[in-house]
Amino acid sequence: MTAVTAPSAVPVGTIRSRSTRQVSWSRRAPLLPALVFVVVVTQVPFVVTIWYSLNSWNLVRPGSRQFVGLANYVHVATDVQFRTALVNTVVLTAGTVIISMVIGVALAVLLDRKFLGRSVVRTLLITPFLVMPVAAALLWKTAMFDPTFGIVDYVLGPLVGHVVWLSRFPLASVMVEMIWQWTPFMMLLVLAGLQSMPTDVVEAAGVDGARPFAIFRELTLPHLRRYIELGVVLGAIYVVNEFDSIYMMTQGGPGVSSTNLPYYIYERAFLGFDVGQSAAMGVVVLAGTILVATIALRLIFTSFTGREEAA
Amino acid sequence: MADVCYDEATCIYAGADRPAVDALNLDIKDGEFVVLVGPSGSGKSTALRMLAGLEEIDAGSIRIGGRDMVGVPSRDRDIAMVFQNYALYPNKTVAENMGFSLKMHGVSKEERQRRVREAARLLDLEPLLGRKPKHLSGGQRQRVAMGRAIVREPQVFCMDEPLSNLDAKLRVQTRTQIAALQRRLGVTTVYVTHDQVEAMTMGDRVAVLRDGRLQQFATPGELYDRPVNLFVAGFIGSPAMNQLNVDVDAGALRVGETVVPLSAAQATAVAGLSRVTLGVRPEHLSVGGGELKLQVDLVEELGSDSYVYGHLVAEPDTSLVARAGRGRFRMGETVGIGFDPGQLHLFHPDSGERLGP
Ligand SMILES: Nc1ncnc2c1ncn2[C@@H]1O[C@H](COP(=O)(O)OP(=O)(O)O)[C@@H](O)[C@H]1O
Ligand SMILES: [Mg+2]
Repeated sequence: MTAVTAPSAVPVGTIRSRSTRQVSWSRRAPLLPALVFVVVVTQVPFVVTIWYSLNSWNLVRPGSRQFVGLANYVHVATDVQFRTALVNTVVLTAGTVIISMVIGVALAVLLDRKFLGRSVVRTLLITPFLVMPVAAALLWKTAMFDPTFGIVDYVLGPLVGHVVWLSRFPLASVMVEMIWQWTPFMMLLVLAGLQSMPTDVVEAAGVDGARPFAIFRELTLPHLRRYIELGVVLGAIYVVNEFDSIYMMTQGGPGVSSTNLPYYIYERAFLGFDVGQSAAMGVVVLAGTILVATIALRLIFTSFTGREEAA
Repeated sequence: MADVCYDEATCIYAGADRPAVDALNLDIKDGEFVVLVGPSGSGKSTALRMLAGLEEIDAGSIRIGGRDMVGVPSRDRDIAMVFQNYALYPNKTVAENMGFSLKMHGVSKEERQRRVREAARLLDLEPLLGRKPKHLSGGQRQRVAMGRAIVREPQVFCMDEPLSNLDAKLRVQTRTQIAALQRRLGVTTVYVTHDQVEAMTMGDRVAVLRDGRLQQFATPGELYDRPVNLFVAGFIGSPAMNQLNVDVDAGALRVGETVVPLSAAQATAVAGLSRVTLGVRPEHLSVGGGELKLQVDLVEELGSDSYVYGHLVAEPDTSLVARAGRGRFRMGETVGIGFDPGQLHLFHPDSGERLGP
């Protein structure tokens, strides 16, 4: 831009750079309100949250507010329940995403072949993803897991005996509901991947003597890799923040056995009214999430634009 | 190694109103290089894919080494195929691509490496063994696809237009390499192309297909010298054979005012017909010598020769192309054209079938 084509006595560079600056500001100015809005609704609350986290402040005791430095963070680090919630979050997220991905791949492989009524089956399989999360959780809590009239107990009762699933296996029950909701998403992503698989490559493998399972392992799975990575990362970003199912199905209980981090923070903030503590947890969780998400997103972007891209 | 036999083999795609390949009969000898050629949509690829087990054989049968292939999946046919777009495995290196079929057949790792290296040496692929297909040029991918076929040492090679994605020069070069490689390995090969030059230069025998039906199955020389009908006559050779509808008059042909005498055998063949389609190749017309007057519309200089395109002065609707030495004729000129009676092809005016020897 600043390269001058002909020698000139006038300091062309300064004139040009001033006008460039004007031009670029005239382009940026219309975007400014949006930027201000984003800062006001995201960054300002974040800064306020950090400030809260440095105070001891419980709404139940008016006038208790005082600056305590990092004491809240020390407390978070030593809070056993927080650690349980952290473990639960990891287990719930990893379990949900991995299991729904495995089932999603299997269903996608089934849907990738032609059979009578395929579009009906596909629509039915997608439906769980379209149900509102709260409604789905309510449905699972009552119609499926209810100890007196739930379908799960009715079907499994004769095999494994009468079990109150939501209190015996609270985290697993929540996970089952979330897997039910997330499988269609994984299935759709993987199906898109399967349909972009070149047919002549599959034919070539068949001629080369590969059996269907070998073709799946040697060619289809590597081709699906980036679709699976995308599904896992997107799924994890959502599932890590899951609140509805836990709130509806178990309320985090019994005890904290099915509490995840968002639910624990909610409890501390809106049931315990401990603003300082919950703000500190929020900051810790946010920092952790950003760290994990950054690594995960970098992983997807390299696999979508990087060297491994399928030809 | 094995012979291949198409026996009334038929393929009908679901929903199609006529067979894509209609009762095809081909007897391919062990070690032979056979080319299937025809215009686009003539069923060449389908015929090949039936052999490879990628399309159903709906009627008739195909035998490889005497074994009936109906219902046998591709993986049990012991064939190797080179696809038009090569169909290399994108996530595997060149070496893994080439070794894949051996791996699928449970060949040990050392043996696999040895054979891949051997094939790579044959095709000049050694420096590329560690690369992924994405990082190869078109010509290199083509060679990898060939390499993947030859490491197998299969009974039959199937090749579906393997050169059509290469540029003209590379295509000519690779053409001779593939033909030489096949002769050296002695593996029965069925090769599909729409390019009659490829067919003529590569094949031991060539099968010409049209609309799923076999027109002629013969050596390139035979196809050129004795095409069985007008379609084959027009398809083989470039520029195409001249075709003129002419009158038959007392055992001779009348082209405008000129009388072309026929041999005794030809005269017998056209007996009873009042008109006949005369076919004559551009190189069998003598330019400058004959009595038939041709007005030159265009001269195509090829360097070694030139082709003279024009129309008959007596019958302006009839256009002809003739081969001449270079630089002798100019546009707009009128030249004399002569026929060599020994080099005429006669076809039935309605059915297009060849008449006479
Ligand atoms: N998968 C298919 N489904 C239906 N018809 C097909 C299919 N593949 C090819 N055909 C039809 O079969 C005929 C022969 O096709 P093909 O063998 O591909 O011709 P070629 O290779 O000689 O160009 C064409 O008329 C084509 O439209
Ligand atoms: Mg084709």
